[in-house]
Amino acid sequence: MSFSFQSIAPDTAVVRIGKALDFRNAAEFKSACQDHIQEGTRNFVLDFSGTGILDSTGLGAIFSLYRQLTPLGGQVVFAAVSRPVQVVVQLTRTYKVFRQYPTVEAAHEQLQGRTASGSRAGAA
Amino acid sequence: MSRHSLLIVEDNQTLRRLLEYRLGKVYEVRSAQNGEEALVLVEESIPDLIVSDIMMPKMDGFALFSLLRQGERTRTIPFIFLTAKTDDTSRFKGLGEGVDDYITKPFDIEFLLTRIERILERIEVHQQQLSARIGRDFSDRLLPKSMPQVPGYRTFFYNKPFGDGGGDLFDWTEVRPGSYLFTVGDIMGKGLQAKFYAFSFLSYIRSTIHAMLEQTDSPAKLMHRVNEMLVRDELLEETFASLLIMRWDTETNTITYANAGHCRPIFVTPDRSGIVEHSELILGLDKQEEYTDRSFQLPPGSALITYTDGLIEQVAENGEQFGEKGVAASATEALSTDQPVQALLKTLLRRSAEPRFSDDILVFWLERQPVGESADVPPATPATTAA
Repeated sequence: MSFSFQSIAPDTAVVRIGKALDFRNAAEFKSACQDHIQEGTRNFVLDFSGTGILDSTGLGAIFSLYRQLTPLGGQVVFAAVSRPVQVVVQLTRTYKVFRQYPTVEAAHEQLQGRTASGSRAGAA
Repeated sequence: MSRHSLLIVEDNQTLRRLLEYRLGKVYEVRSAQNGEEALVLVEESIPDLIVSDIMMPKMDGFALFSLLRQGERTRTIPFIFLTAKTDDTSRFKGLGEGVDDYITKPFDIEFLLTRIERILERIEVHQQQLSARIGRDFSDRLLPKSMPQVPGYRTFFYNKPFGDGGGDLFDWTEVRPGSYLFTVGDIMGKGLQAKFYAFSFLSYIRSTIHAMLEQTDSPAKLMHRVNEMLVRDELLEETFASLLIMRWDTETNTITYANAGHCRPIFVTPDRSGIVEHSELILGLDKQEEYTDRSFQLPPGSALITYTDGLIEQVAENGEQFGEKGVAASATEALSTDQPVQALLKTLLRRSAEPRFSDDILVFWLERQPVGESADVPPATPATTAA
């Protein structure tokens, strides 16, 4: 299983996490993100819709990405955070570091510097 | 799991192509036409196994084998020789130990595949046993041999690793008479690697505490320092950890703690149990993060439970993880029993989807024994969420 990346701006990509990000596929996630960073991606929107499992190895992979991007002026934001993912985020208090958006579109608009007010259905 | 890598060394092009094709269906295959070429490929990356012809131009199979046996990193690569009827097989004896197999041409490729599979399986089992042994050794060192003994209190520690286990750690030290500092943490990641990082990290924590105790015994200040080191240190760059540092002052029955994204402790009284609220960002992400101390008192007959994520990630009957609330809800009836940790685990298992735990389990139970009549003013209990 692989992660799908979609470029929504020259330096911004949406990553669909899918069912799980855990010790089984965290290495794959990391190397896929590396490829995109090589190609100039600086902002990652992680789409967690329908994600049932985020374990500590998976979260660690996201942290590595964050630590790498911060000095480059990049961002990692979360979109459509599912309940199981929200539990992990609350537990580790990482909502302080990763901004959350109700939808990928809302995240995109924010990253583009526009306001999220007038956004499409679903964004609050 | 990644596929095993094989190196085929064969000068006959037809046979080489055939082997590439058939073995390539199961393994990552590279190929060389002679020993010299093979050496270059081994230098690039070490294969899991080599299948080599004997008679080849430039460097034959025997020469390749002997050279690899001299290299520190290449000495143990399993080797299968493909021999022609005319080859002098007596020479194998001269090679001594280490030739894992030889197969006489013409051979059945299924036969070769079976041999390869068997050798790789054997190695894998061996490696797993070795990992498990190293893992256990790390675990032993990451966990305490004894618990503080304090009149008026009962302490229980329980740990059961699952498989190779992960990066759970637990440690305590008496900072001055009657005052104890506990660290409970979880290094992100699985298996031996997490264990190794947990081990290095624990050494960091210990030395930090040791070095700073002259100036402070504040969990928050210690936490701040540990976090700074973790963010700065290149060796631990990929290490992230949740950590709870907790000071227990037995004279005043006070607990002072700072929590960096670790599962929150559970406070249990005969009437209710709740989650000890306060927590801050997990370690290793942000150097600027400020950690703060919180204090509360343990009244007689109450207990404090600290643990790692194996408990809260356990799946309950309803298909959802227990979470901190689920653990808290199972804690009250364990209070004041002979073996409260066992009682808690038993209750959790009874409410689990599967009758066993599927991760490392680590629990520390600190209980203040009930006293008779007490003239104490009501103590300041911790801010908790009712379960």
